[in-house]
Amino acid sequence: MHFRIKNGVTLDLLPTKQFKTVGIKVDFVAPLQATAITGRALLAQVLETSTEQYPTQTALARELSRLYGATFGISVLKLGTKHVIRLTCSVVDEQYLANYADDAPLFERGMDLLKQVLFAPLLPGGNFDPATFTQQRQNLYTAIKSLDDDKQYLANRRLQELLFTGQPTQAMNALGDLHVLSGLSATDILGTYHDMLANDAVHVAVIGDVTAERVQSALAQWPLADRTEPTSDPYYHWDARKQVQVGDDLAPVVQAKLNLGYQLPVYRNDSDFMAAVVFNAAFGGSPLSLLFTNVREKASLAYYASSGYNPFNGTLTVQAGIQAENQQRVETIIGDQLAAMQRGELPATLLDEVKASLLNARLSALDSPQRRLTGLLNVHLTHLSEPLATWQEKLMAITADDVARVAKRVTLQATYCLHGGDQSAE
Amino acid sequence: MLNKESYDRLGESIYQTTLANGLRVILMPKAGFHKTFAIMTTDYGAVDNAFVPRDQTEPVRLPDGIAHFLEHKMFEKEDHDAFDLFGQYGASANAFTSFTQTSYLFATTSHLKENLDILLDFVQQPYFTAATVNKEKGIIGQEIKMYDDDPGWQSYFGMIGNLYPKEPLHIDIAGTVDSIAKITADDLYTAYNTFYHPSNMSLVVVGQLDPEETLRWISDNQDHKTFGPASPIRRVPSAQSTPADIPATQTRHLAVTRPRVNLGLRGFDTVPAGRAGLQYSAAISLMFDLLFNDSGDNYLRLYDANIIDDSFGYDFQVQRGAHFAQLTGDTDQPEQFAQELTAILRDAPAQLEAAKPQFVLVKQEAIGRLVGAMNSVEAIANQYDGPLFSGATIFDELAILEDLTFTDLQEASEAFLSASQQTIHTILP
Repeated sequence: MHFRIKNGVTLDLLPTKQFKTVGIKVDFVAPLQATAITGRALLAQVLETSTEQYPTQTALARELSRLYGATFGISVLKLGTKHVIRLTCSVVDEQYLANYADDAPLFERGMDLLKQVLFAPLLPGGNFDPATFTQQRQNLYTAIKSLDDDKQYLANRRLQELLFTGQPTQAMNALGDLHVLSGLSATDILGTYHDMLANDAVHVAVIGDVTAERVQSALAQWPLADRTEPTSDPYYHWDARKQVQVGDDLAPVVQAKLNLGYQLPVYRNDSDFMAAVVFNAAFGGSPLSLLFTNVREKASLAYYASSGYNPFNGTLTVQAGIQAENQQRVETIIGDQLAAMQRGELPATLLDEVKASLLNARLSALDSPQRRLTGLLNVHLTHLSEPLATWQEKLMAITADDVARVAKRVTLQATYCLHGGDQSAE
Repeated sequence: MLNKESYDRLGESIYQTTLANGLRVILMPKAGFHKTFAIMTTDYGAVDNAFVPRDQTEPVRLPDGIAHFLEHKMFEKEDHDAFDLFGQYGASANAFTSFTQTSYLFATTSHLKENLDILLDFVQQPYFTAATVNKEKGIIGQEIKMYDDDPGWQSYFGMIGNLYPKEPLHIDIAGTVDSIAKITADDLYTAYNTFYHPSNMSLVVVGQLDPEETLRWISDNQDHKTFGPASPIRRVPSAQSTPADIPATQTRHLAVTRPRVNLGLRGFDTVPAGRAGLQYSAAISLMFDLLFNDSGDNYLRLYDANIIDDSFGYDFQVQRGAHFAQLTGDTDQPEQFAQELTAILRDAPAQLEAAKPQFVLVKQEAIGRLVGAMNSVEAIANQYDGPLFSGATIFDELAILEDLTFTDLQEASEAFLSASQQTIHTILP
């Protein structure tokens, strides 16, 4: 059930008795701007900490306990040309609890908590509480720095920087930039907050055993005003380079992390989108894939070797954990697999298996309340929505030729290797 | 033949039986679900590297990492790979090895019968040769090195190594590059024949299924195979460390941006047998909630002093032959982190008494989380711990939690903490 609540504010309700919880998701979507990413990430962190009514994280956590272990969180993500601040809250459906005594059902209490977080944050004297602000800015600072402790993450971040040199919206992490962060004040964040409430497109979604009346009546308590409907599309287009960008860094790692970046300019609204999904699954997106089979199973060169496809910024990435001295060999095997797919040499059995696994994944997602809620963002951003049966027909109609046509549009743009130098050659 | 237990308030039923060959089967239909998740588990893990092989009299000691190596090699057969068989139907398959268990699993939205046959057949028909064994050494070598570069993993295993310096728990589940180099096809058969008898295994299936029909499929598959008689598993008891063997502190340097501290607490008390062990486990988990969770006063005090931050976490685990807790986090004040947590634990009886008004809240929270976990077919199936708690299910756990009193919590806490020994493992940049 889809409702337009205000200009630029939508509500989706997925009524079902399948789950023992009621899930709520609220997306605030803004155009992706390099100057705004860090501020929005910090705002999310501050809003998540406390509210006027629950002025410490302990007071807020206690309220979540009173709501029978409700989960609550605010996260940020980047998708193509959009930046999203996402609030999620999941409460148990009290019909499954033995001694639930409160008059208000948990769904309404969860909606009220989100309302407090969004519309009544802790603003003593009209600005964010200085102690909370300073502490959360420091926490975000350390969180961003600690991301690099994950060496697979670090290698991918460096690859993105190579791929998108001079294009900070794409190169930058969703949590933002350390230098920008240090300069942010509570007043800056207050401006970001008012801007988000007034101008972001808002998409609310609820899944569980609740009626449209209950959801609409709870949402009517939120002071959301009309806003301009977004018109720009979410796809980030960029020009491929003639020259492959090559980078590497020395780090104290035992295993080298090899990451390759390609352009695959097939976007979510492209008629070849489904073929690109199949291509990625066959190339490196599943344990049946050519990369898994050839890099790992046949050559024993890696434990992980996989690919990922982003239909919002037209990239394909490959990652593998290897011995540094094998880098050339691994790159050759990866290149050979891509060339084979470009020549249309996709085994018929692999094509069938990959389609079956994509269908399995799509149906499995129906059993996850979170994935059903988050999947709606795609629909809002792309305005593309199709019934499962249509989706399945399109999937099954994909041929080896379709996949080869997509494969031919893949061009290598950057290679990056994080390695330990001589010490890793043991 | 199927024993059915119904839970009306939750709208769920669970079906259990033990087949003639000893395989325990647990089935749980989930109305409205599209997916079915099946997991087959043997009560054999990384710590079980010394035992008397089936039909023999003398104990053997196999190379470290053998259980995990065996898990990898089960998929490969003479002329095919089990992954590809699942792949025909689009099912996703996987496997994992813990200290005390090895599990094989798949998730599917169609062809449940065919996928169950594939699972049962690949787990019950071993095929190991020198060539296939050697090929795997490169892959697992890279897996080990991947974890070598993972600070979270290093912190966890550093803590475990301190708590269990003489027991096999101190060895990485995957072994080492040197130990796996020694593994032979014969070793794999020895381990397989001893621990993969159906009487040492369970099969849990949760999701879209009809219990009677599913059981018939499983029984048909098993009826076509012959197994020797069930015989007791004879593990060689490992050396046991004493509290005096546990180092109070250990510090390592790694390429991290901030110090990472892991405070480990090993219980030297005896976990009550059977389901009472589950009650003990639930009580200790709630004790840690009362002392350390984010709705408590300690959390806020340490958070505001910048001693802990959002990376702080803790858990309590009971496994066959071992139970321990860990409290861990990134911090710029590693010494204060260790001191403050140690002081709270030392003062636990008084702290718990003071936090008693919060008991109802943390219990309520744990109940809500467990009911919420019933949304996930994987969570339901993975919660089943087989023989550890006498076959207790997620519904038994919920009932135990609902009945748990503050006195139960105090008694279990006293038993655990008074006979516990602590270590502090610190990783510095």
